[in-house]
This record gives sequence, structure tokens and C-alpha cells, in this order.
Amino acid sequence: MMRHALILLLVALLAPQVCAAEEQSRPEQVQSDISMREVSIQPNFTGVEIVLFGSIDFSKAPSPDEGPYDVIMVVRGRDKPLVVRRKERIAGLWMNGASKTFPTVPGFYAVLASRPFRAITSEETLKSLGIGFANLDFGKTGKGVDAVDGFRANLIRLQQDRRLFQESDDAISFIGRSLFRGSVDLPVNVPIGRYTTQVFLFRDGKLLSQSQSSLQVHKVGFERVVYMLAYHHPLSYGLLAVLMATSAGLLAWTAFRRE
Amino acid sequence: MLQVYLPVAEISVNLLVMLGLGAAIGFLSGMFGVGGGFLLTPLLMFSGIPPAIAVATGANQIVASSVSGALAQWRRGNIDFRMGLVLTIGGVAGAFAGVLLVGLLSRLGHADVFISLVYIIFLGVIGSLMLAESIRALWRTRAGKPAVTRKPGEHTWIHGLPFKMRFQRSRLYISALPPLIIGVIVGLLASVLGAGGGFIIVPAMIYLLRMPTHIVIGTSLFQIIFVTAVTTVLYATMERSLDVVLAFLLMVGGVIGGQFGANAGQKLKGEQLRLLLAVIVLAVAARLLIGMLVQPSVFYSLAPIAVGP
Repeated sequence: MMRHALILLLVALLAPQVCAAEEQSRPEQVQSDISMREVSIQPNFTGVEIVLFGSIDFSKAPSPDEGPYDVIMVVRGRDKPLVVRRKERIAGLWMNGASKTFPTVPGFYAVLASRPFRAITSEETLKSLGIGFANLDFGKTGKGVDAVDGFRANLIRLQQDRRLFQESDDAISFIGRSLFRGSVDLPVNVPIGRYTTQVFLFRDGKLLSQSQSSLQVHKVGFERVVYMLAYHHPLSYGLLAVLMATSAGLLAWTAFRRE
Repeated sequence: MLQVYLPVAEISVNLLVMLGLGAAIGFLSGMFGVGGGFLLTPLLMFSGIPPAIAVATGANQIVASSVSGALAQWRRGNIDFRMGLVLTIGGVAGAFAGVLLVGLLSRLGHADVFISLVYIIFLGVIGSLMLAESIRALWRTRAGKPAVTRKPGEHTWIHGLPFKMRFQRSRLYISALPPLIIGVIVGLLASVLGAGGGFIIVPAMIYLLRMPTHIVIGTSLFQIIFVTAVTTVLYATMERSLDVVLAFLLMVGGVIGGQFGANAGQKLKGEQLRLLLAVIVLAVAARLLIGMLVQPSVFYSLAPIAVGP
């Protein structure tokens, strides 16, 4: 009984919204997927290119020759806190002075678009969808105004230098009218964890449809063993490191002894 | 380009550069008979390794070189185990304090400046003393006089302290307090600098404790094994800043370089060796100082905030 009641309630809640969405937006649908669902970090990992591809389903479109369509993709890693420090000259020496902590900085963030994304839709839409560096929310930072003190701007610039933040206006190309693909480079320093990818379909500045997928970036094999030991069994890890060093010392002594 | 990903440092480094760095330090330590940690940590920092990781990994590497060094000294009967034990007890206490200090400073973003400053002071002072001493010695040998050595065995204020212990192999009957305090200071410095601290403990044992020189080297190596081992474990558990992949590369390079260094060292005279080492030590100190004086090209830096396990 309870379950039936719940389902009825859900249907009642969702139904008007679904209808509204169908009335409002164009019925073209976008489907997408990623070339790989798992990225494995091994000792020889030097970065990887992943391909996001998708297609536009016109079957319910009002007329088949409408267009042109625009696509924006967002790839996002897990949020982590980061501290930004500014070097200052104290007593003639350069050292870290003022700092600011940002609680929720995506470990990776890439925007790909079929043409400059600011031309695709309005700033409000971009803001509400969190598209573009300027529209990222890094959480509450306490005192200071971001636009004035430069910490936020420098955080973005440093993340760009490390290739962890990317904005690319021509990374998506159409193959025919309905197929499209975009590629993004995950650099060597890419953080581990679950990544989400969002694909947004626009026409005339209006969001028609969106689709989401995810991929997992993780360490495998030896890397994983070392990482797990270091972070989850640090005492054994430290003792093993000492054992390794002791055996190396013993080995060197026996191999090269001059007596 | 042989890139190796360091799992804890989370950066990738060039395999050959790190092996070469280990070999260079091994070469120098084999040549001069020093641990080499005091050169390794600054060089790791110059090559972009974060200071907390450079220090922890440096300590781990020193365990290897001090084990093989101590074994060779033990075969010649040059270790005073009793003295070594007293120094180790003090050293472990000092190491604990040092790791806490580096951890605290890391979280505040001042670890690199602090480590660099301590290095500049110590390398600067010791390098200058060595330079002056070796130039004087070279001068004297050129003038045809034999090198002067100090006479041990004189009584100083140290002999008036309580808790006397008999250190048989060192032929000493002195208070346990001076070696204990020396141990604490050396342990503190060794853990902050990621070095063995031989360059501090050896002069301290010779000039303050008046131990016979041949016993000093073996006993200090014995003590360094335990202090660096404890430092390694403390950094691994308290700071998660130990990278064994990096340590392994440095050890492999170090073992190879050490053998060549020992051969090269036999071809040079003692004074020449000390002059050369003094120049290297001063060069590293100067490089660290310039790094702090010159206006940086990038003013901002990013650091992750450790989230508890």
C-alpha cells in the first residue's frame, strides 16, 4: 500500500513538470557517451585523450531541416578544497604571505564547445548551468572580494597552467548533421575519482536537451598498492620503506665490500 | 623521455634525472665519506619536489647509505654501541619534534622557507668553516709543515656533569647528558632537513665529547640509521609525505654512484677533498639564498588541503 501511494505521489509531482518541459522546449533529444569509462593510471601514464561523442535525435523535431545546432560539453572532476597563497617580501625574503581557501574547487574542469560558447547562449543560461570558469562556484571563502584580491583569478590561471582547467571553443566537430564528437586531454597530473560529463544541446541560444555520463579515473596495479598503503596503512608503509632501505644498504655492502 | 609517476607526490618526474641525482649524491658521499642528505634535499627541492616530500624521502634514502656505511665500520670495530644508544634515544625525541614542526609549517605554507633558511644557515656556516680550514691546511702543506691535529683527553666543563656513564670503546667516563642533548639537537635538525646530520654530530662528538676520531664515524652512522628510520616512519604516518618510488630511484642511483665516488676519493688528498666539498656546500647555500632573494616569476601558488582519512 505504502509503495503504491509513494509511486502515485511521485507521478503526481513529476507529471506537470514533464508536460511543461515538452510544451516549452523543442523535442530534439541528445544522446552521448565517452570513449572510455575508465582511465587507469599506471607508472607509465603520461596523460590520455578521451573522446566524447553523441548524436541529435530529430525523430520528434517539428521539421527535419531546422538548425543549426550548438553543442557544449563539460567534463568535471571531484570537488576538493584548495588553498591559494601569495608570495610577499618580508624582511627582504620572498615567502608565502596572505592566503585564501576555496572549499569546492573541481579537481578537473573542461568546457568544450562547437563555437565560442559565449556566443552560443546568454550569460544567464551559462551561469545557471555552471559553464565557463567565470561561472564556477568555489564555495564560501570568508573575507575579501574575489574580483578585487586576485586569488580567484590566479587560482584559475594556475589550474589552467597545470592543464586541469581547460576552455576550448573548437573542440567539438559535427560529422554530418546529427553526429558530433569532442576530445579532451586528461593531463598526467589528473586527480583520481569519479568524473561527470554533461552534454548540452542548444539552438538559437535555447537549451533543447542535455545528457550526462560519468567516468572513473583510478590508479591500478603497483600505483594502487603504493597509494593504498601510503594513505590507508601508513605505519606498514613507513616500515616497508625502512625495510627496503635497509636491504638496499645490506645489498650495497655485500656487493661492494672491500675487505 | 622516461617519465615516472610518483604515487604520493602526485607528479611525474624524469627517471634518468632522478637516477642521476641519486648517483651524483652517492658519488659525493662515497668520495667525501659523508651521508649526502644535506645536498639531496635541496637538490630535490630545486627539481620541483614539494619540501615535505623531499625531506621525508631524503631521510628514507639516508637509511640505506648509513646501513652500508655502519656495517663497514662495525667490521672494523669502530662503533661504540653504548654511546650510539644514548645518542639514538635523544635523536628519536628530536626527530619526533622535528616532524611535528615541519607538519605544522607545511599546513601554514611556510615549510619551504623554514627548511631553506635552516639549510642556508647550516650550509653557510659549515661550508665557510670547512673552506677556511682546508685553505689553511693547503697553505701549511705547501709551506712544508705537517698538518696539525688536535689532542683529545683534556678536561672541560662537560666532565663536571652528573649521570656519569662509562663508554668503554670511546675510552670516556662522562655524563650521559651531553650525548643525550646532542642527540636531541641532531635528531631535530636531521628530521627538519631530511639529512642524517653527520655534518653536525661528527664535529660535536670530536670537539665536545672528545671521542677518538675513528670511533666517531662508525658511532654516528649507527645513530643515523635509527634516527632516519624513525623520521621516515613518522613522516609516513603523520604527514603522508613519503614517496617510496622516489626513494627507490634515489637509492638505486646512490648505490651505483657511491662505488665510483669511493674510487675517485682515493685519488685526491684530504685537504683537496674538503676544499671541493666546502665549495659544493657553499654553492648549494648560495643557490637557496638567491632563490629567496630574487623576485619570483609566479607570485601565487596552490596547495591541497589534506582531508583526514
